[in-house]
Amino acid sequence: MQNIELVNLFNENLFIADLKATSKEEVLGELLDLFIKEKIIRNKQIVMEMLHQRETLGSTGIGKGVAIPHGRTTAAIDVVIAFGKTDNGIDFNAIDGKPVNLFFMIIAPPNDDENKYLPALGSLVTILKNDKNRKKLQQITTYSELISILSGEE
Amino acid sequence: MNKELEALITLQDIDLMIEESNEVEKLGFSITGCSELEKAREEIASRIKKPLLFRYERLRAKLKRAIVPVKNDICLGCFLRQPTSIGAKGREESELFTCENCGRMLYWLD
Ligand SMILES: [Zn+2]
Repeated sequence: MQNIELVNLFNENLFIADLKATSKEEVLGELLDLFIKEKIIRNKQIVMEMLHQRETLGSTGIGKGVAIPHGRTTAAIDVVIAFGKTDNGIDFNAIDGKPVNLFFMIIAPPNDDENKYLPALGSLVTILKNDKNRKKLQQITTYSELISILSGEE
Repeated sequence: MNKELEALITLQDIDLMIEESNEVEKLGFSITGCSELEKAREEIASRIKKPLLFRYERLRAKLKRAIVPVKNDICLGCFLRQPTSIGAKGREESELFTCENCGRMLYWLD
């Protein structure tokens, strides 16, 4: 997936530079609330249930301080990504056991004719494997900074 | 919300997850809880009455998605417009409706 296509799945209103959450459960809730507020999803409970089941399958904490909670749900219509960051690492049962401070939540619909979901997930993993990108992301305070890092401009 | 409708949606969400777990693993995610998720799936399925569960399985086998979102009164399985009269009830999430065209079960998003 081209960076520009990935960037298009983000939304300025789904961005938190300083999460209030202090636990895994709270992070999922705080990010999901953004989707509710933006009327991207209507039923929080259903999507929360899906995210919990996804964590049962294996932690979406991929290591090095990054987590990408994700999943398809019948309660969504489009692929949308929220970003959250905290200076205090949160225990997310990540695969390396380390606390997480960068969160990308991807919610996708059950049918995805344009096939955006898995390519977006893959592109994000690639971007976040890069040490420099992660370091830069940890410093950001604005949405435009996020977008320039994701689009490779910075 | 209708508990059975809720269980059906969760069941489908889990099934979609299981279906794509290999691809997700290839992207770099650690997939360790397949058997736990299967167990969770069985527990959710047990909350659904047998005839409805059979209908779900049949639709899944035939059409891939058994339950699909409805947006602006359009079934996103086959893009047929649904009668506005059922939309009002559908949004209350108290009753389960079926698309008369494609036969999929419907979930109103808006
Ligand atoms: Zn239909």
